[in-house]
Amino acid sequence: MKLNELVPQQDPVDLYLPVMSEIRDVRPLTDLETLYTVALPDGRDLGHQPGQFVEVSLFGVGEAPFSISSSPTRKGVFELGIRKVGLLTEKLAELKPGDKVGIRGPFGHGIPVEKFRGKDVLIVAGGIGLVPMRSMINYVLDRRDEFGRLIICYGSRSDKELLFTDEMESWRRDPGVDFHVTVDRGSPEWEGNTGVITTLIPGLELDLGKTVCCVCGPPVMYRFVLLALKSRGLPDKSIYMSLERRMKCGVGKCGHCQINHSYVCQDGPVYHYPDLKSLEEAL
Amino acid sequence: MELKFLASDRVEAFVSYIMQKKTVYAPQRAGKHSVALKKVADPGAVVLDYARTMQSVKKFFLPPRDELLQFNLADQSFAPAEVKPLDAVLLGIHSYDRAAIDRLDYNFSQGHAERNYLTRREGVVWVGVSFEPDEFHFSGSVGIRPHDTEGFDVFLTRARDGYLVEVLTNAGRELTAGFDLPATDQAKPQPGHFHQHIFLPQAKLNEVMGASYNNPVWEETAEKCVGCGSCNIVCPTCYCFNVEENVDIKVSGGTRERIWDGCMLREFTEVAGGEVFRGGLAERQRHRVMRKFKYLSDKTGHPWCVGCGRCTAYCTAGISIVSIVNRCISDYEKHAATAV
Ligand SMILES: Cc1cc2nc3c(=O)[nH]c(=O)nc-3n(C[C@H](O)[C@H](O)[C@H](O)COP(=O)(O)OP(=O)(O)OC[C@H]3O[C@@H](n4cnc5c(N)ncnc54)[C@H](O)[C@@H]3O)c2cc1C
Ligand code: FES
Repeated sequence: MKLNELVPQQDPVDLYLPVMSEIRDVRPLTDLETLYTVALPDGRDLGHQPGQFVEVSLFGVGEAPFSISSSPTRKGVFELGIRKVGLLTEKLAELKPGDKVGIRGPFGHGIPVEKFRGKDVLIVAGGIGLVPMRSMINYVLDRRDEFGRLIICYGSRSDKELLFTDEMESWRRDPGVDFHVTVDRGSPEWEGNTGVITTLIPGLELDLGKTVCCVCGPPVMYRFVLLALKSRGLPDKSIYMSLERRMKCGVGKCGHCQINHSYVCQDGPVYHYPDLKSLEEAL
Repeated sequence: MELKFLASDRVEAFVSYIMQKKTVYAPQRAGKHSVALKKVADPGAVVLDYARTMQSVKKFFLPPRDELLQFNLADQSFAPAEVKPLDAVLLGIHSYDRAAIDRLDYNFSQGHAERNYLTRREGVVWVGVSFEPDEFHFSGSVGIRPHDTEGFDVFLTRARDGYLVEVLTNAGRELTAGFDLPATDQAKPQPGHFHQHIFLPQAKLNEVMGASYNNPVWEETAEKCVGCGSCNIVCPTCYCFNVEENVDIKVSGGTRERIWDGCMLREFTEVAGGEVFRGGLAERQRHRVMRKFKYLSDKTGHPWCVGCGRCTAYCTAGISIVSIVNRCISDYEKHAATAV
């Protein structure tokens, strides 16, 4: 088939224009991370899926992708958990309520929640990977009767870097949540688990036929978590992974996010693990 | 197709004539040794007999720096960039460069159709010219021959003392109407021979490239490669871009722009935390070549390389994409032979 026959005729659109949105609240999570509450104009709803991302920009500074941390069940505003690492994120950290940011999105394929319905949901989050996974966690908590058990494994480098510690307390107390946390190196006050995140997996109580898992964390984490999940006998088809790549456009045009033939901003960031096996560069 | 004749000594008059109807861009001398596509001011400066321009027609639709929006810092307002249809004649274009635009059209239409690129693409009248393959061209190996008229409104085939003219579309008829092009009974000459060949058709290449992921050729190529990204920049089908902010000197406003980027550059895949997903030159070379001969062709059935030879002609390290692909083919065949 000719190339122009492969694409349906559709009207071209402006892909790079942000929607100016208001910062409603700024809450520090740690020394490095901040939680921003953002409102689109006119009370418009973002309409995202857990696991999707938006492009956030400040004029004169830049634009970058950030996961949506709030659940779509909580309407009106949305939340972003952002770590200071460079130009844009440092400037974002200076923002106050009432300030404006540019938003494009939501983009990408998030977690296919319909595949998780009726199942036990296992979340494995490393470090800042908890930011996007929190969207799914709160989604499950808000629609409790649509899902089975909620099992959360969270690993962080140190107890000082733990995110959402207040929410963690409520997860710990919730009898419907099986919450596990570990840190690589604990401070003297730390009384919880120490060790990398994979040390949590052998002890989990899992109904293998009923569990669906989503993993998100730093690049080094994925292989080890996969090994641990496989040695528990969790089938590949029950595993989803959220991957990070450099992204500029978010809409499949700039080429930055490509893993072999796949565009992470379009096919991902959340992938079904069986689909990742044909992508040699994925993990 | 009825053939008409444009004598060499009437080319200048022909260019003048079409310049009255539309703006014309065509190859012209740029310095001693190169030819570049530029807006025509002097019809006598147009060069129709040339090997290749360093930059393809891509630059008219996806400019090296392309404004996306203008912002005002005081009130945080912005306005979309003003994008206009090119609305011009592109004269003297080779078939491989026209084929490259089909690929860019695909990229900017599939999924989300992009206004910036697609608006510029409007109003173009394509006047092609045949070429004589030099030591770098290999478009014949990807199914694009020097006389292919696909996608053109008018096509000029080099013949004795001038050009055989084919008027292929209504836009072509409108453009040439009123200029005296006598009919000719000269037959279209045989196209010139290529000196470079990929030894397998694309239909087979997908399989070969799929099996070449761990071929030593990537490491061997990386030993020569300096990672400058020139191959990306001169490629007519490379479309990757970065986005930058440009603040004016008064710091009152500025522009958000996209700039050509290249997958051969290390920072292309770098993310916060220092991870670089294709940190080695071997991985980046593999990505570049796989993109042209596997990833996008698996999806569309068309190779994303059009055989213009630019990446090889302008490579400072003398790396040849044809040699890389042929090496993958010969290793694949050797392997198949020993496996039997
Ligand atoms: C789908 C997705 C979701 C993300 N979600 C979050 C999140 O929820 N919270 C969070 O804090 N961060 C998230 N990130 C990472 C975030 O995009 C980067 O931290 C941000 O781009 C850094 O911008 P900067 O201008 O501050 O850094 P820069 O000054 O540009 O550079 C600092 C570092 O960031 C790297 N970098 C530059 N651009 C990008 C990019 N587009 N993507 C990744 N790294 C980049 C640079 O290579 C450099 O190492 C996400 C990234 C992706 C792709
Ligand atoms: S971020 Fe631009 S193509 Fe995916």
